[in-house]
Amino acid sequence: MPRIVEAQGLYKIFHLGKTQVEALVDITFHVEKGEFLALVGPSGSGKSTLLNLIGCIEPPTRGTIHLDGIDITNLDDNSLSTIRAERIGFVFQNFNLLPVLTAYENIEYPLHIRGMPKREREERVKALLDAVGLARFANHRPAELSGGQRQRVAIARALAGSPSIVLADEPTANLDHATGREVLKLMKGLNRTYGTTFIFSTHDPQIMSFADRVVELRDGRIAS
Amino acid sequence: MAIYLKIALRNIWRNKGRSLITLSAIVFGYISIVVAGGFIEDVFYQMRESYIHSFLGHIQVSKKGFYEKGASRPFEFMIDHPRRMMERILNLPHVRSVTPRLEFAGLLSNGENTISFMGQGVDPEGEKRVSSFLTIEDGRSLEPGDRYAVILGRGLAKAMGVRPGDPLIILTNTVDGAINGMDVEVKGVFYTSSKAFDDRTLRMPIETAQKLLQTEKVQTLVILLDDTRNTDLVLHQLRSWFRQEDLPLEARPWYNMADFYNKTVTLFNRQFFVLKLIIAIIVVLSIFNTMNMAVLERIGEIGTIRALGTKRRGVVMLFLAEGVIMGLIGGVAGAIAGYGSARLISYFGIPMPPPPGATIEWVATIRVVPEVFLFAFSLSLITALISSVYPAYKASRLKISEALRHNV
Repeated sequence: MPRIVEAQGLYKIFHLGKTQVEALVDITFHVEKGEFLALVGPSGSGKSTLLNLIGCIEPPTRGTIHLDGIDITNLDDNSLSTIRAERIGFVFQNFNLLPVLTAYENIEYPLHIRGMPKREREERVKALLDAVGLARFANHRPAELSGGQRQRVAIARALAGSPSIVLADEPTANLDHATGREVLKLMKGLNRTYGTTFIFSTHDPQIMSFADRVVELRDGRIAS
Repeated sequence: MAIYLKIALRNIWRNKGRSLITLSAIVFGYISIVVAGGFIEDVFYQMRESYIHSFLGHIQVSKKGFYEKGASRPFEFMIDHPRRMMERILNLPHVRSVTPRLEFAGLLSNGENTISFMGQGVDPEGEKRVSSFLTIEDGRSLEPGDRYAVILGRGLAKAMGVRPGDPLIILTNTVDGAINGMDVEVKGVFYTSSKAFDDRTLRMPIETAQKLLQTEKVQTLVILLDDTRNTDLVLHQLRSWFRQEDLPLEARPWYNMADFYNKTVTLFNRQFFVLKLIIAIIVVLSIFNTMNMAVLERIGEIGTIRALGTKRRGVVMLFLAEGVIMGLIGGVAGAIAGYGSARLISYFGIPMPPPPGATIEWVATIRVVPEVFLFAFSLSLITALISSVYPAYKASRLKISEALRHNV
């Protein structure tokens, strides 16, 4: 299978005053296209940091990282923004929907950034609202939706631009167990339907069972 | 861009209380500029029209060199055939009236006191139109057919201790330098907005003045137009005409003769500039504060849209759009409120004391000047934009990973 993520000897070191914190130490791993991969580990193990590095949100201190065949290690801010807009979808623990936009408009936002024409945007957003079962809530603002509904809008938004990969940082952490499982099922279904690669971080053992593969991080290192 | 405008507009609406306070600052700034600017414009207008209608007229025509050397040798620069010239000037568009003047200095005596004066020989009929700010306080004005009659400024009449009906003796030099005297009768006492003018001026029919000075010429032709704004147009026509026919005449507009007015305009404009600067700073600080708060409150959202692929310039545009929309709304609201305030204040009027050197109290209004409104509108927009620049820049430079840690 072709690889969508290829990381070699990744380090991420944070400087907190005079103290150095090694968030990631010598990470070498890869993700294949279409995989549904779980990053697991306790809080502070480096899951979010690794997702940030893959997601072009911050650069590694050392090492190289390729995404969809592109070396993203040393790209400038504009190029990284373009890659995020065109190839990556994000799902956040707190949903991170824009409160002033409706569910429809939140899903539409990434398509605006990509400069998609209005008619195509409309078709795409309606299809996604149907796919996540929220067609009735298109004109609702995030404040008018439940946690599960919000996360489903966030998933639809992540998939709007037909990304190569979706990165989900603790997507079920703020949901009750049943809703969390539903959201995971939805993600898994979309993974199968569209063949989109998913990497999600979690420390919930039950949710790990959905993953094709589990990568465990401990103290910034790959444990298994 | 449309999506940024949509988000910006909704963000303004989202925090109504704070947006309202910021808009109030813009509207307050707008009203201040419109009221202060409209008041100053009214002062300029009333002062200008007072000067023009009291004695200057809109344009004065005289022999070349009169304005430079006429003070020391007034009779060397006289206009020949003044009647013929007046008829031709009257045919020009926008000219309402032309009246001749002959100025001279002399001594005035009532047998007990003798005092120096500035005399003006005028055409009583023509001068009515160019001296509308000259008010008769006692007696009557000069009338066509009056001979050997004078009207005196309030200060001069008081100094001489005379009233209408009293006789006076005038002593002066003729145009040839001989001494000539004349008995005249006081017909009236006048006052204008200029105390200095009232303290030393007397007027007499131009025929009487010509007889006293033994000449048929005049020094100046005072032209009154239908509107002060046409001054330059008529001035240009006159100058072209004099040049084409090689006439030894020159035309001067009122603004080249109203030295006190020009100085007042400069002084007021400087003061107004400082006022505008202070208002601009207040508006800038107010919007700056709002935008800074908006950035702080929306760190999580900024992180989100950056993670979704929005470039830094997109974030800048989002916050600048917010500032500009705020400036636009404030500008429109300010224009309406400014217009309302101007009309309301003008309805009641502002009682003003006499200006320096003048004697008459007057009522100021707030003039609705399109240029002032346009300036205030531009100021609202530009200050809103300027004060959004730094917060917008700051928002665009946030570290995405840190911004995302803030709750949305």
